[in-house]
Amino acid sequence: MDANLDSPSERFDINNEDDVRGAVMLSYSEIMSRFNDAGLATQIATCISELAMNIVKYAQYGELYIHYQSNYSIEIIAEDRGPGIANIEQAMQDHFSSKGTLGLGLPGVKRMVDEFEIQSQINHGTRIRVKKWINQY
Amino acid sequence: MQTDLREMKTSGLMKMHDLDESDLVMVRKYGTIISPKLEEYAVLFYEWIAELPEYQVLFSNPEVMGRARSEQINYWRSFFNARVDDNYVQERRKIGEVHARVGLSLPSYFAAMNVSFIIFTKKLYDGGLYSEEYSSAISALTKLMHFDITIVVETYSRLINERISKQSKALMEMSTPVTQIWQDILMLPVVGIIDSKRAQDIMMTILSRIGETRAKVFIMDISGVAVVDSAVANHLFKITKSTGLMGCVSLISGISPAIAQTIVNLGINVDEVNSTATLRDALEQAFKIIGRTVT
Ligand SMILES: Nc1ncnc2c1ncn2[C@@H]1O[C@H](COP(=O)(O)OP(=O)(O)O)[C@@H](O)[C@H]1O
Ligand SMILES: [Mg+2]
Repeated sequence: MDANLDSPSERFDINNEDDVRGAVMLSYSEIMSRFNDAGLATQIATCISELAMNIVKYAQYGELYIHYQSNYSIEIIAEDRGPGIANIEQAMQDHFSSKGTLGLGLPGVKRMVDEFEIQSQINHGTRIRVKKWINQY
Repeated sequence: MQTDLREMKTSGLMKMHDLDESDLVMVRKYGTIISPKLEEYAVLFYEWIAELPEYQVLFSNPEVMGRARSEQINYWRSFFNARVDDNYVQERRKIGEVHARVGLSLPSYFAAMNVSFIIFTKKLYDGGLYSEEYSSAISALTKLMHFDITIVVETYSRLINERISKQSKALMEMSTPVTQIWQDILMLPVVGIIDSKRAQDIMMTILSRIGETRAKVFIMDISGVAVVDSAVANHLFKITKSTGLMGCVSLISGISPAIAQTIVNLGINVDEVNSTATLRDALEQAFKIIGRTVT
């Protein structure tokens, strides 16, 4: 529960693709109603989709937090207790994938946000925090 | 972390509610006062219920009403018997299921539990316990009621969530309306979100339609799609490639500026994909491919 109504947090349990879809749709419509900016909504929803799908693909389940900070930034935290990432540098490279998919999720997310932080420990899990600053005109 | 109440043992659930055998003894003791008066309880309860609009809709049929009344009396009889075992828990799950199925709302359920508590502790209580005993009985009743409520609410909300996700799935499955818009041209407007299951559906549907119609061009309009992430892009590539193998060119239309931007940001290579901003452009291209000109 968040005491500050200006900066509410949303939490999503991510256990399967349905959960990912729910988080993506809800965040998209939330951003549209806050900022009325399809470009921003699409970018954030895409980041959420990439990070949450990685949880399902690599860690089975985990959690996702979205934090709207008084209309000047949006923060996403994706957290799991899965296998962790052995080589972060490699995982951040375009086209690297341990599952034979496109390998563009993590580097793509990084290109779409202003802050990108990744913590990971083998067999303990992964925590990725990203933040996008909002340009208000 | 995955916490599923369904996987918890009865003992774990009891612990979670700080409920132990001595509480159950107190509930039974209080039950000796209440159980003989359960008919009286039902009269008071249904006086209260008659005021609620929701209940009037649900219980317009006297037969349904009679059944609900006797089930409710049985429920409280089992509550005051306080034999909390797997069977007891199972009965509560059943209640959650029934409420979810008939669409009885959680606020009404809470209010009904609250009014029952008041009837038991104020209206029907005859002063037969010492004050210390009375207060530990009240505490035990409260805990066991909350125990029941936890199970009912868990079952209820899980079923409602399942129902919602089933509905949205059903909607998605219905919406693969591939139509033959011209000799040799098939079209599919995609709306909403594409996940791997849906991409699979689209692929199967379109391939079989190509087989039936021998179409030469397939236009997939994604102007109603909000998000194209790398997995979706990958699915789209696979669809275009597989139609190509059947001699049918795929065109993807309706790429919005927002989607074009994220696709570039993701670094997706779009060389092999025929895409257009509008459906109109795609149609023009399609007619060119089949060797027709439109003016
Ligand atoms: N939550 C995670 N847990 C463990 N490994 C991960 C996680 N997220 C990403 N990875 C690793 O990083 C790699 C790159 O991820 P990404 O860029 O999303 O591409 P892809 O998902 O297509 O493989 C993955 O193949 C995987 O090895
Ligand atoms: Mg990925």
